[in-house]
Amino acid sequence: MRYKDRSHLARGICLLTMLYLTACSSVKTVAPYDRGYLAEDGMKWDEGTRNAKLKGHVYTSKEASSGGAGSAGGGCGCN
Amino acid sequence: MAQARLEAAVAATKPPALTQLPGSSPLMKRLGARLLALPAYQTGTALADAPPAFTEVGLRYTHYSEDSIDQDAVIFGATDRYDIDVTQLWIEAPVGASWSVALDVQNDYQTGASPWFVGAQQDGEPGVIMSGASIQDNRVEVGVTTRYFWADGNAGFSVSHSDEDDYEATALAFDASWNTADDARTWSTSFSSSRDTLNPTQGVIPVFITEEDLDTQSAYFGVSQILSRTAIARIGLSYTLSEGYLSDPYKFRDQRPDTHERLSLSAGYRRFLIDSDASLQIDYRYYADTWGTDSHTVELAWAQNLPGGLLTPYVRYYTQREADFFSVIADTEAPHYADDYRLSSYGAVTLGARWAVALGENWTLELEAERYMTDADWGVFHGDAAPALVDFWRGTVGIIWRFD
Repeated sequence: MRYKDRSHLARGICLLTMLYLTACSSVKTVAPYDRGYLAEDGMKWDEGTRNAKLKGHVYTSKEASSGGAGSAGGGCGCN
Repeated sequence: MAQARLEAAVAATKPPALTQLPGSSPLMKRLGARLLALPAYQTGTALADAPPAFTEVGLRYTHYSEDSIDQDAVIFGATDRYDIDVTQLWIEAPVGASWSVALDVQNDYQTGASPWFVGAQQDGEPGVIMSGASIQDNRVEVGVTTRYFWADGNAGFSVSHSDEDDYEATALAFDASWNTADDARTWSTSFSSSRDTLNPTQGVIPVFITEEDLDTQSAYFGVSQILSRTAIARIGLSYTLSEGYLSDPYKFRDQRPDTHERLSLSAGYRRFLIDSDASLQIDYRYYADTWGTDSHTVELAWAQNLPGGLLTPYVRYYTQREADFFSVIADTEAPHYADDYRLSSYGAVTLGARWAVALGENWTLELEAERYMTDADWGVFHGDAAPALVDFWRGTVGIIWRFD
């Protein structure tokens, strides 16, 4: 078995790397006292560990895809 | 002692410049309170990662309900699909000045029927043979996580075990994140390993195995970067390898490879819009695996601050390409075959909203509802439509209590 299209994967990695480098090249230094907006609840990467885990569990058990921002845990007999 | 611990934690995370902020407006008071709880990568260089300042106890209940399958798509069996009740209970507390520990317990109770296999109806159209009478199963998962915090980051170790009538899983996981000298960038990594054991139960439908194992190893590496005073971005790459029994024992025609490699690339962006007092959230994931499946997932959310709470409506789009060995009616002459709708090409849209409401200083109420809808025509990849695609509702209510 193999990945369907390795070029898609390679292009994806290149695209994300370019996006990241582009974003980082325009980074402005933000003073510590000026980071209040970054601490807003709406700026978090997920809505809470437990909720993110539950949502991930639901989607993973109903879709062929998995993974993202973290490594996998144990499986289940969800059919 | 608890007060002393709180003061120590606050002292460790208090930005020196915070005292210079004008504190009279509600916005500045809110920002000030949140700055005290910031992880190091979002605060100043002199600040340390620190354990949570409070003990947190939470209880959440979720009801998940799949729509009944269309009677026209069923050749035989019940049309009702799964209903699942999920209860989550947890406690997380600081231990000393550098550690935290969390205990999580989750119980899932599910009832309903699921597709057994797909055959041809009298008119030649594919139809589903369902598993017949309602299946009942209960799953309990217990996990313990301990985390160590130091000046430039934190690291956690967790162990979890889940048990149900026909499935048992034990998983170990390690994660770490550390910040660059200016705390504008955070590197993250995690590794996990799990051993699953299947013991399918003989019931209304026959199964052809008695016990099988599945081993899974997974790794993730990512980085987040502060872009400006109102924007932050991250990218990540994860790899997962599963070896062992990967077929579905409750499906009649299901023979999958015994190795499965999965890669996913993820990217995220958050921007706070000052005039709207809201955050824009954008997430994307590209997934590919050695079964020939790949997929795109995009999620957009708008997190609106409201008096005493945060309301976040969101929309998620997902599309996947069918696995190499999938066919609407399984080809049992092939080395590997499956008619599982979850391996078919389709698109899915999720519409949802969550609402976090502060009830006084120590209590938070969480509410969430979402609708998940699928259609073979909504996908960007070609493939025959599977007759058993699933739509579902999910609703969650939770209460969190924080105290020192």
